Amino acid sequence: MTDSPQAIDCQEALERLYDYLDGELTAVRTEEVREHLKSCAPCMALSSFESAFLRFLEARTRAQSAPEELKRRILQNTVFDARDR
Amino acid sequence: MSDAKKLSFEEEALPHLDAVYRVALRLSGNEAHAQDLAQETMLKAYRSWSQYREGTNARAWLLTILRNTFINEYRRMRRAGPTVDVTEIEAFTVFHDVQDTDPEGTFFDQLVDEDVLRAIDTLPDEFRETLMLSDIEGLPYAEIASITEVPVGTVKSRLFRARQALQKQLYDYAIEMGYIQKPELAE
Repeated sequence: MTDSPQAIDCQEALERLYDYLDGELTAVRTEEVREHLKSCAPCMALSSFESAFLRFLEARTRAQSAPEELKRRILQNTVFDARDR
Repeated sequence: MSDAKKLSFEEEALPHLDAVYRVALRLSGNEAHAQDLAQETMLKAYRSWSQYREGTNARAWLLTILRNTFINEYRRMRRAGPTVDVTEIEAFTVFHDVQDTDPEGTFFDQLVDEDVLRAIDTLPDEFRETLMLSDIEGLPYAEIASITEVPVGTVKSRLFRARQALQKQLYDYAIEMGYIQKPELAE
């Protein structure tokens, strides 16, 4: 396999889309997808939609944090445990 | 445990408690169990902290302990809710439905956190777990593969199906709520 970017078709771009959006591709493979998206409006539209969905998903699910009481309990049973000193 | 070890646990492990709790909540489906599961995970991690190699990935290490604890001790307690079928999913279907009416997916913005979490909870276990580790906690494929003990290819296919199934669930819900019209009804 060569190290310089090659032209890819829609099918190839869509197969790699999530890898691309997740930052899982090498620089060369990333460049290939990016170049395809630049020249293909339907794939670019799909890519924007999927990318927006992933941002939405993260925003709607990351608000939850551990209750303060649980944090206190864990600290007491680990680093502040008197029996452990 | 030496003070230095305690300090390293406090600095490297405890900051991941929120992530541990979030994943525990989605795995167990119940706040009380999630708290127990998160606490047990952190206590186990503390007891075996000498086995943790400093500077490696503490979050992935903790999530592995969490997953094993869940499978061994909590899975049987999870109430079996309705589960969505993900086997048929092979393509980007929602986008094709909305590309003419709402190509930017603005209807998603009308959904609140609870809608999304409820939909995530209907995914089958292995799909829910993969989606959480990737899309909520932001772990790379290789780490998810290591935590869930499957090849990277399996992580990718689970992630694709989980995302598309979730999108479809939320899209159907948005139609039901009137946030977006079905394509044939749209002007």
